[in-house]
Order: sequence, then structure tokens, then C-alpha cells
Amino acid sequence: MSDYKSVQVSKGRGGWGGPLTVTPTDDKPLIYSVTGGGIHPVAARIAELTGGEAFDGFKSSAPFDKIAVAVIDCGGTARVGVYPMKKVLTVDVHATSPAGPLAQFITEELFVSGVKPDDVAPA
Amino acid sequence: MSGTDTAARVVYESEVTAVGEQVHAFLDHGLLIFFADESPAELHDMSVRHVATVAEEGPRPGDTIVLGDTRVEVLAVGSVVHDNLINLGHLDLKANGATEAKLPGDVTVAKQDLPLLTAGDAFRILRGSGATPAGDAGSTDQEGTP
Repeated sequence: MSDYKSVQVSKGRGGWGGPLTVTPTDDKPLIYSVTGGGIHPVAARIAELTGGEAFDGFKSSAPFDKIAVAVIDCGGTARVGVYPMKKVLTVDVHATSPAGPLAQFITEELFVSGVKPDDVAPA
Repeated sequence: MSGTDTAARVVYESEVTAVGEQVHAFLDHGLLIFFADESPAELHDMSVRHVATVAEEGPRPGDTIVLGDTRVEVLAVGSVVHDNLINLGHLDLKANGATEAKLPGDVTVAKQDLPLLTAGDAFRILRGSGATPAGDAGSTDQEGTP
């Protein structure tokens, strides 16, 4: 019964990929933050604007089919590939480009990087 | 052997709890990925998980990383390595010989075969005199002077 809205997430300074349009649904309500120090401000911003549910991936695990978007603070090797490999929209708050063993899965349609809260706007 | 550690400071001390099924495949590319034991399930396949008992600082160039029975010397450290290690127990170790971190999460060491760790092994970062390997057989080359 939730009334979700869409946001556009654009690459930030030095970033790569996107823009991504993120729209949570009742089936995929989670704004999944896999970052240090709890829910990242970028994830909080996406949740605030969309009505999605901010979720801390390091506190408890979520089923992949519930994730609207994953927000990561990846340094370029591991997490940048894990979520795109599973076709999950992925936002890296660091300005990384496709690299690492899973680079082949990182596409402009699935991944955007260098994102700050101001790079998230109502769509 | 133990005498080499006397003057070194332990800035990170941890014990391996599990080794993911994909870790050996990444080792073939000189890559070893660590995450904290409580990391999300989707990261377990690719990573060595561990529980830290000392988590003061991330590595710096010149530090020694102890991986079970193996010691490696840190060459370069990216800009987000400290935060990732302290907050998430996460570290990307690359045996590529690079003296600059290409990616912000990289920790680089000399080209070599990194060990496939097992549960119970130590994952430790040592700093200070005495921290560097003391004439280990097979690793006798000097770090190039500038």
C-alpha cells in the first residue's frame, strides 16, 4: 500500500556510469546500505525521496529479490561487482570505474559511482 | 622466528573464521579479499572472513601483514583502506607489485603466491622495526631504493 516515488541517481565528480532510475516497489522496498558506519547518507537520501526502506546490510541480511538498490562504499574491487553480477542496481559513493575480478558485470545500466546525496534527485 | 616481532606493534589482530569457495580462484589472480565475519551473505563466497581482537589502524606502506605462516610487506595503500578495514573488516590485498594503489581500496604487496588461509589462521598487521620479514628464504630481493 506504500506510495513510492522514483529518483534519478547521477554520477558524481570523477564517477562512472548511470544515471540510474530507482523506484522501490512493494516487492522490492529495500534501499540496501552495505557501508561502514550504518546507513550511508546517500542511502538515507534515496529512502527519504522514494519512500523505500533504508536497510543496513551489515546488521542483518536481506533477500536479494527485496533490494531496490544497493549503496556501497567500495574501494573498487569486490562489492562493485557483486551486486551488478546479481542484476541489482548499485550506487558506489566512491568514484570507482569497472575493475576487479567481476568487472565484466559492471555496466552503465546497473552501476553509478562517485555519488553524493546531492546527486540524488526526484525523477 | 619469534624474536623478529619484539619491536613491532600490532595495529590489527584477527583470526580467520571461514574461507569462501571463490577465494582460491581470486588467488590465481593475486587477489585476497577480507570481510568481517558478520558481513552480508552475498560477500561470503569471495572473501576470507575473520573476527578482529585488535582494530586500531589500517595498514601503511612498510607494514608487515601476517597471513597464517606467511608474511608480506605492504607496498601501497589506497585512500579508503583504513575506513573499510576498521568499519567492515574489509581489505583487498593484491600481490601485483604496484608501488601506487590504483584503486582506493587496494593494498599492494610484491608479486608472489598468497596463501589460501584456513579457519584459525592469524590475520595480523605489524608496524615498526622488526616488523619486516627477516631474510625469509625465497624472498631475498631488496625493495628497490628510489
